[in-house]
Amino acid sequence: MTNESEAPVLDVRGEICPYPMLRTNRELDEVQPGVPELRVWTDHPPALSTIPPEAMKRGYGCEIAERAAGEWEIRIFNAEASAAG
Amino acid sequence: MSMDTVRTIDRSTGVGILAVVGLVAVYLIALRTDAAWPVFWISGVAFGVICQRSRFCFVAGFRDLFLMKQGRMMRGIIAGLAVGTAGFAMIMATVIPNPGSGVLPNDAHILPLGIATVLGGLMFGFGMVLSGGCVSGSLYRMGEGYLGSWVAIFGVLVGLYAMARTWNWWWENQISMDRLSWLPTDLNYTGAVVITLVLLAVAYAGVSWWERRAFAGMSFTLPVIPGSAAPPAAPGADTTLGALARKVFRAEWTPLVGGIALAAINILIFIRYRPLGVVGEMTRWSTDFANQIGAGVGELQGINDIPGCVPRFVEGTWFTDAFMLNAGIIAGAFTAALLAREFRLRIPRGPRRYVQSLGGGLIMGYGAGLGLGCTIGAFFSAIPSLALNGWIYAIALAIGAYGGTAFIRRFP
Repeated sequence: MTNESEAPVLDVRGEICPYPMLRTNRELDEVQPGVPELRVWTDHPPALSTIPPEAMKRGYGCEIAERAAGEWEIRIFNAEASAAG
Repeated sequence: MSMDTVRTIDRSTGVGILAVVGLVAVYLIALRTDAAWPVFWISGVAFGVICQRSRFCFVAGFRDLFLMKQGRMMRGIIAGLAVGTAGFAMIMATVIPNPGSGVLPNDAHILPLGIATVLGGLMFGFGMVLSGGCVSGSLYRMGEGYLGSWVAIFGVLVGLYAMARTWNWWWENQISMDRLSWLPTDLNYTGAVVITLVLLAVAYAGVSWWERRAFAGMSFTLPVIPGSAAPPAAPGADTTLGALARKVFRAEWTPLVGGIALAAINILIFIRYRPLGVVGEMTRWSTDFANQIGAGVGELQGINDIPGCVPRFVEGTWFTDAFMLNAGIIAGAFTAALLAREFRLRIPRGPRRYVQSLGGGLIMGYGAGLGLGCTIGAFFSAIPSLALNGWIYAIALAIGAYGGTAFIRRFP
C-alpha cells in the first residue's frame, strides 16, 4: 500500500524531535497549504505519536505503514475526500 | 497485505537474539566479579529496554507541554515519580525510623540546595531541548543508532569536564554552604509523602487541564503503528509464547507504563544500593581521561561528603558498578531496538544538527555537574527521596526547557 500513492513526499529521515513534527506542520501550513495528501518518511519512532495529532488538529486523517526496519511512512490525507472515495 | 504475514526470523531479530546472549554473558561475568555489578548491569539493561520500548523521554515531557500542549509524556513522568515516592519512603523509613533526629538517609538524593541547583537546572533544561535528548535519553538513543546522540554525549563529557575544572570554586563559594532540605525532618514521613503526592496530583491535573484546553472539542485516536504493533499472525502458526514475546518486544509501551516501570527499577536498586543516577560516573570518565592526557583537574573538594551524582573513584580498577549501569542502558536499548526491528543508523541532516547536539550536550553537561545530577539523579530520584532540591531542580528544568523551546522555534 505504500507505493500506490502518487502524493508528494516529505522526507524527514535523520531528524529527531521536534523537527519531524515541526517540518510536517510547516509543510501543511505554509509550503503546501490545503494539500489533499502528504506522505512523510521518518526513521524517528517518537514522531509516530507527535505528527498524527498535529495533522489531525488540522482536519487530516493519518495512516502509518512500515517502509523498512526502523523506517515508516505516515500518510496524511484529507479525511473528507478520502471518506467520499 | 505485506509479506510480513508469513514471518520467519528476520535479520534484525536474529542479531537481537545474539545481543540477548551477549547481555547474559556479561551478566554471568559480572556475577563472578563483584556483588554489585550484576545488579547494576540488570538495572541498566532494564532501564534501556523500558526507555526504548516506551520512547520514554524527559525532553519530550517538558518540551511538548510548551510546543504542542501535549502532556502524554509528562503524565508518565509524574506517575513514575508518584510510584517512586511510595517506594523510596518505605526504604528510607526502614533505614531512618526517626526522621526528626536530623540524621539523613545516606544514599537518598538529598542534595545541597542553592544557586547551583537553580542554575544547574536552568542550563540542563535549556541544553536538553537544544540537543533533543537529556543525558540518560541520549545514552539509550546511542544504543538505538542515533549518531547525534553520540555527539551529544561527547558534548556532555566535555561539559562535565569543564564543570569539574570549576568545581572547587563552586564548592568553596556556594555548594559547601548550601543546606540539605529533607521534607521528613519537619513533616515526618506521612506529612512528606502526603505533600509530595498532593503536589504530584496537582501537577498531573494541571498538565491534563493544559492539554484539554488546547485540544478542546477534539478527540481522536492515534493510528496504529504496524512496524511496532504485533502483526496479524497466520492462524495456527503462532504459539502463545511467540505472541507474548511479540506483544512485549514489538508493541510500543505507553509513557505511563514506562514511567512506572522505571520507578520500579529505581526502587529495587535503592533497596540494596542507591537510587539511579548516571552523570556522576560520566564525570569520572571525563576527568579520568583528562588525567591520562595530563589535563587532570586535581582533587575535587567535598565530593565524598555529598550524596548523589558525583564521581566515585574506586582504587585499583577502572570498572565500577556505575559503569555497569551506564553501559547496560546502551546495551539494553540496542537489544530492544533490534528485537523491535527499529535499530537503524540515524545520521543527522546537515551540520547545524551536529552543532545543536554538541552545544546542547555541553550546556547540559555543565548544568548536570553543577546541579549534582540530570533528569534522573537530581529529579527522578530526588523528588521520591522527599528532598526539596528535587522540586527546585524540576522548576528550573521547566523554565530552562521553556527557554530552549523558544530558542529552537526561532532556529528551525
